[in-house]
Amino acid sequence: MAKPRPVKGLDPDRRMRPNARKVLAVRIEEVYAYDGVIADPGNVRELHDLRIACKRLRYLLEIFAISFDDDLTPYIDEVKGLQDLLGDIHDCDVQIPMLEEHLAWLSGRESEAARRLVERRAARRNEGEPSEAAFRAFRRNLDVGRRGAERAGVHALIGRRRREREELYARFVDEWRRLKAERFRPRLEAALGIDAG
Amino acid sequence: MAKAWEVPGLAGDARFREAAGRVILTRWAEMMSYRDGTLLGEDIEELHSMRVSSRRLRAAMDAFEGAFPAKSFRPLLRQVKEITDVLGDARDLDVAIERLGGALADTPPDERPGIEGLVARYRADRAAETPQIEALFADLEHDAFEAHLDRYMAKHTGIRLADLKPKPPQD
Repeated sequence: MAKPRPVKGLDPDRRMRPNARKVLAVRIEEVYAYDGVIADPGNVRELHDLRIACKRLRYLLEIFAISFDDDLTPYIDEVKGLQDLLGDIHDCDVQIPMLEEHLAWLSGRESEAARRLVERRAARRNEGEPSEAAFRAFRRNLDVGRRGAERAGVHALIGRRRREREELYARFVDEWRRLKAERFRPRLEAALGIDAG
Repeated sequence: MAKAWEVPGLAGDARFREAAGRVILTRWAEMMSYRDGTLLGEDIEELHSMRVSSRRLRAAMDAFEGAFPAKSFRPLLRQVKEITDVLGDARDLDVAIERLGGALADTPPDERPGIEGLVARYRADRAAETPQIEALFADLEHDAFEAHLDRYMAKHTGIRLADLKPKPPQD
């Protein structure tokens, strides 16, 4: 996770507004620093970091809103919208590897169950040739240890999460472009009295 | 989601330092109001509300970091981050169990064993989180963290919990 950049020049004995402007200017810049990397859906870490940057900015706008004359609610809502979309994308990015790990875990359990069964059978080898009934019991016990029936559901879930991720990412890119087209950043900076310089 | 508590006495033209004390201590009280419900573990919304409040507290501490000496403030931030992280692990599992369980009715029969198996595994993982949460609160108590935070805020902002008296929203 990207650490927040330090904010220079704060004076705790001055009023909130001039200090808030300095903090917010840095956090807005942090969000827009990701502008160049969001075009690649494979930038999982960068999208996660952008989500964190949006979250920081949103919370700060909420905290400092009281010290500004303009109503910041519409800006907070827009940032929250982006943050929510990025959060849903992040959920998919976390869940898909977890589900893949679960498939590997199922395989491990199957192997372990089969190994224990074979060991038990080997220990009884000196009891003579296995009967037909003993073979059927072995087969039955082997089937009990199989987790094949569980795979279908997990595979289906992985497929659904991947499709969901694609849709969410497309929506996020549309939102990001819309906000740029609507000059979100300069409008927000103007509302906060930040000199875009 | 739990509503954020009003910050008592916070004015738009407050000094940065004073605002820091008021906001941080209010968010602390808000977060700790969910402690008992979280420990009880009967309603997953209690833990969720506590986690949301811990995030608000962290955000407030990030926002007002400049009002405090960096060296002494950093351990307080780390402690709050730990609270968020511990609660976050449990919350992620609560959400996964609830979502998967809720979707079971609409899941085709051949996919159900997989989802049921996954829910069972997440339930076991979630049960293992409870002792971590209990240990976290025990550490906070053992270290008298609240008293330490209160003294620290009084020293650097002039605001004390006993004077601030933050209260949950009335609705």
